[in-house]
Amino acid sequence: SGSISSDCLWSFSSTASVAARSYSHGKQETDEEFDARWVTYFSKPDIDAWELRKGMNTLIGYDLVPEPKILEAALRACRRLNDLASAIRILEAVKDKAGPHKEIYPYVLQELRPALNELGIPTPEELDIDKA
Amino acid sequence: MSLAKPAMRGLLAKRLRFHLPIAFGLSLVAAAAFKFAVTEPRKQAYADFYKHYDSTKEFNAMREAGVFESVRPTGK
Repeated sequence: SGSISSDCLWSFSSTASVAARSYSHGKQETDEEFDARWVTYFSKPDIDAWELRKGMNTLIGYDLVPEPKILEAALRACRRLNDLASAIRILEAVKDKAGPHKEIYPYVLQELRPALNELGIPTPEELDIDKA
Repeated sequence: MSLAKPAMRGLLAKRLRFHLPIAFGLSLVAAAAFKFAVTEPRKQAYADFYKHYDSTKEFNAMREAGVFESVRPTGK
């Protein structure tokens, strides 16, 4: 992996896209397992507001933009919690996580469009709150 | 026309893999440049100054100029 090839350099939690803990032992979780774990987390029928916030904040801390299927589960959790504000905030967070990679956010919105329509969630752009 | 899925993982790691070696290299270059443009010429200037420095002659010149309290100028 390039000129810096020490594993330990990449496993602190803030850049770990898989391990939440910086163990070097134990089986490495695949991307699919990671995604499935997070979809399950947000799909808990009686998820509470704290767990939603905790989950989102943890997820945002990783070196990745969450997969649309994870975000959809999170948005549905917002629906169960009657929390439209957090749903819109999640979209803002996705755009922010993408950083300079401007192609990611439109793709995510594209994938989420059916869920956004079903749940009646407007995007920040539609609300004109996306610019400073 | 739907958008293709872009890369969504490891974007920071990729950026660091690219920029950290450059940052490290540039820092080394900056340190080397400072060493050779500032430190070494300065050290050489001191060495050149003191190579033929006659401290007794300089002391006596200062003495005659009257800047010391511990010794007076000669004569008078």
